[in-house]
Amino acid sequence: MAAEQPIIHIEHIAKVYTMGGEKLYALRDVSLDISPNEYVAIMGPSGSGKSTLMNILGCLDTPSSGIYQFNGLDVRSMSDNELAEIRNKEIGFVFQTFNLLARASSVKNVELPLVYSGVKRAERRERAEQVMHSVGLGDRMEHKPNELSGGQRQRVAIARALITNPAIILADEPTGNLDSKTGKDIMRLFYNLWQSGNTIILVTHEEDIARHARRIIRIRDGCVESDLPNEENEASYSEAI
Amino acid sequence: MNILESIVIALDAVRAHALRSFLTLVSIAIGIFAIIGSGTAISSLNATVTKQLEAMGDAAYQIKRTPSIQMGNTWRKYRNRKALTYQQAKEFKKLLNIADAVSIGNTTFGITVKNGNLSTNPDVSLHGVDDAYFITNNISLSDGRQFLPEDIAAARPLAVIGNDAAVKLFPRGNPIGQSITIKNQRFTVIGILTSKGSMLGQSQDNEVLIPISNLMKYYVDEWEQSVAITVKSPGKDALEASMDESIGLMRALRNVKPWEDNNFEIETGESLSTQFATFTSYLNFFGLGSGLVALVAAGVGIMNIMLVSVKERTREIGIRKAIGARKSWILMQFLVEAITLCQLGGAFGIGLGLGGGLLLSSLLNAEAAAPVGWIIFSVAACTVLGVAFGLYPAWRAARLDPIEALRYE
Repeated sequence: MAAEQPIIHIEHIAKVYTMGGEKLYALRDVSLDISPNEYVAIMGPSGSGKSTLMNILGCLDTPSSGIYQFNGLDVRSMSDNELAEIRNKEIGFVFQTFNLLARASSVKNVELPLVYSGVKRAERRERAEQVMHSVGLGDRMEHKPNELSGGQRQRVAIARALITNPAIILADEPTGNLDSKTGKDIMRLFYNLWQSGNTIILVTHEEDIARHARRIIRIRDGCVESDLPNEENEASYSEAI
Repeated sequence: MNILESIVIALDAVRAHALRSFLTLVSIAIGIFAIIGSGTAISSLNATVTKQLEAMGDAAYQIKRTPSIQMGNTWRKYRNRKALTYQQAKEFKKLLNIADAVSIGNTTFGITVKNGNLSTNPDVSLHGVDDAYFITNNISLSDGRQFLPEDIAAARPLAVIGNDAAVKLFPRGNPIGQSITIKNQRFTVIGILTSKGSMLGQSQDNEVLIPISNLMKYYVDEWEQSVAITVKSPGKDALEASMDESIGLMRALRNVKPWEDNNFEIETGESLSTQFATFTSYLNFFGLGSGLVALVAAGVGIMNIMLVSVKERTREIGIRKAIGARKSWILMQFLVEAITLCQLGGAFGIGLGLGGGLLLSSLLNAEAAAPVGWIIFSVAACTVLGVAFGLYPAWRAARLDPIEALRYE
């Protein structure tokens, strides 16, 4: 593992829900570090706690106990506004269902995170157009999400995730709603993003998708079952895709 | 994230549900219309009446049995006042020193005037006046002559007629020297009044003047027997002294004991316009009250529509929160949306109200006047309304859990 300071440092975190007086553990004991420019897949069957882990990693939720440091900052002690700022500046979300604003054009969707970080209109537009070009949608700026194919929608979502130059890109089943060929295209895009220096966390239950990552963490019953580098040869992999 | 950004988003949301937004907006527009419409009409009315009262001159005043403008249940208060008789008035006129002119008059309404088989509608005002009336009330003639003191003293059957009667009864030829019939009495026309035009849609020329001595003899019912006295004081400076003398004289003539209040009224143009303003302020309260009730109803509509909107856009809120919107920004977005909706409705209502009010005042021939105060009030009211009824839905939106909201179908 890299010697430099990890972006994400998690130590013995647990997430407990109380339902009808009974304690339910979504996460029991998870520890892991994720360093810059890693490409990590988090795997696990449904109910394993991987969604909870993803929400915590994405600062949408906070752990009940344990330590979570993001770039050395203690996330558990952050206020709602500080969490919102981390999500805005440091995390790029890519969702299975794309989660674009239906009434806004794709370039407006891509701009949105910059609206919340207070970037001026002209600069916003310029940066959004740049990112749209980089995901291959230079000619789809003014299209609304419903005028785009699934693959194109996911590219808009990826552009939106990239626009703030986040520390990590957090992708939750990004190919789950796409056919296999389009899925492959999207995975190639992620691969290129990783190659150009981005840190990517992929949450999935599909082995086929997970094998694109360079490190695979398996979650079961709220605990880390295994945390191993992907044994596949990178050279043969990049050839394969 | 600034206000402008929120307004753009809000307008977009309003446009996305154009019909729904429009219907909500109409309810606000109705409330604002009620406020602005009555405000405009009343402002116009006030402007007109004030102008007319000022025309009476600021050196003149009237003495009469009961006030010209009565509000509320005052009949009980004044019914026991003894009549201000013609006899008393003549005595008063003889004795008053500080005055340029003193006239005595009485009016009876709903009179029919005839010339052969030509006849007016039964809506002519018949004024019994004396020679001084033409001075105290600044009356001028377009033709013929005024009453002389002898005409009054001898109760001669003479008449000065308004333009309406002249046109109606003498379509061809000059009325001067001709005869007219009022309740089977024949009068000779000696003069024609200068046309005064119309006020609040009512012609002011539908009148006939005869000597007060004649009117009191034949035309006035017993309960109408009080006359009104109009005094023209020698100037504005002398007005107070003249009024003081009048009050003292009147109290003496009517045997008012020193510990008793006046049993008559004394009014200047200024005091009348103050009274009228008080009267119209009641009307304003009606307009305001009904408008406010409508606005509260509209506010409930706003809250309803905003709650629906928040529910429908749960996922959108989740997305916005996931990519970094703070609670306060979500709150502001929905609050601004509610306020925008209210302001759009308000603008619509102000337009309707101004249009309606001005149309009404032009129908009534009143002076046009825009109630600027009410417009400012309406803008403020719409903002308050938006905040008051938009806050709860906006707060609900702001406190949504982003994870739950993203999962919402």
